[in-house]
Amino acid sequence: MDNPLACARVRVLLEPFVDGDLDANVAEQVRRHLVTCAECRRQHDQAISLPFRLKALSSPAPRASFAQDVMRAVAPARSMDRQVWTLLAPEALLAGFILWYLSGLEGLSSIASGTFNDLLGLAGGSLPSVPPVDVVLVIALIALTCIAGYHLSLLIRVAPTSLQSRRHA
Amino acid sequence: MMLRRYSWPVLAGVLAALGIVLELVDIAVGDRWPNPMAQVITAPYSTASHRLTTQTLRFDRTRVGERLIFESPIVGFGPVDPYAAIRAFLTNGAGLVLLALAGLIVFPKRARNAVERLEAIPGPAIAFGAGLVLVLLTLGVVTLLRFTLLFLAVVPLVLAVVLVAALFGVGCISLAIGRLLHDRLHLPEVHPLIAALVGALVVFDLAVIPYAGVVAFAAIAMAGLGLTVITRFGSAGGWSFVDLDW
Repeated sequence: MDNPLACARVRVLLEPFVDGDLDANVAEQVRRHLVTCAECRRQHDQAISLPFRLKALSSPAPRASFAQDVMRAVAPARSMDRQVWTLLAPEALLAGFILWYLSGLEGLSSIASGTFNDLLGLAGGSLPSVPPVDVVLVIALIALTCIAGYHLSLLIRVAPTSLQSRRHA
Repeated sequence: MMLRRYSWPVLAGVLAALGIVLELVDIAVGDRWPNPMAQVITAPYSTASHRLTTQTLRFDRTRVGERLIFESPIVGFGPVDPYAAIRAFLTNGAGLVLLALAGLIVFPKRARNAVERLEAIPGPAIAFGAGLVLVLLTLGVVTLLRFTLLFLAVVPLVLAVVLVAALFGVGCISLAIGRLLHDRLHLPEVHPLIAALVGALVVFDLAVIPYAGVVAFAAIAMAGLGLTVITRFGSAGGWSFVDLDW
């Protein structure tokens, strides 16, 4: 039979005992000691209580760059918020340029009516005539489409999430 | 106590009456200055009722409207035509309400997701901004497609998707307005479709304000379009490229 453990030894082993880190033989000896010793049992009860265990945990010291890192992590969100609205300026500029290039709303509506007539013609079985287009206009249209698409992706990113998806998360 | 019990029907009635009055003003103002909404919603009725065509006789056999046109009390303004105003309300207003409610009935879960995101801060600003960007995007895409032979047929499809998205969004905005009125005016609990109906009436009233209505309705339609797109038709997951990355 193993020698019974002394109180001083048990108190050292209490922490690994509670964590389940002791081998079976030593753990059994600690358990047997706890049955007979009221003071060690009190210390064991304390050790298994959650606040005590939390208190016993040592928190790691923050890095020296902790504050800077936090600020850096926050900064992109701010700049993205700004970017979300400032992108309207190049879009307005491009839209204005396109309108000017097409001779204003009249030109735009002629494109719309031309599209409508061509579609009617297409439904009637005749192939529409594609109007010749300036490369500058096409580049401006592609640029507007790309910027607007990118802008939309930013807006989607900053949009509030639904409660349901937050619940899923 | 009695008023509180019937507060929703009373509110709906007041909004409907306000809509008819605003249309009455729209008809009286006519196209004196650029007033596109009057042209689109109300003015055609007031002018059509004076014309004797087969079409008119087929759809308006009673011709009551012709006996209910009065001179304007204010010099320089057009006739006061309450019959045309009621008719315009019952057609355009009912159309808007039915389309808004249809979106909510067919996609209730998606509508809820979208409304939740609209009610969060800064939901309305983001929805409006996205709508504005989408209008530019649609303009760019449609104009580009117009210069191709192959994709010309896609243009109506793009416009149809935009229209459906805007209508779903307007339905969600109507529900959000109804919920807002419920909270602010401390109205009793009611079926969500009734709240959405009242919200749709608010949208309609805003749309028929003389001169400003076109701006208000464009803003609401754009916000609706933006809301639908940023929430991916109200899906819980939203936009994600995770599935493409395997």
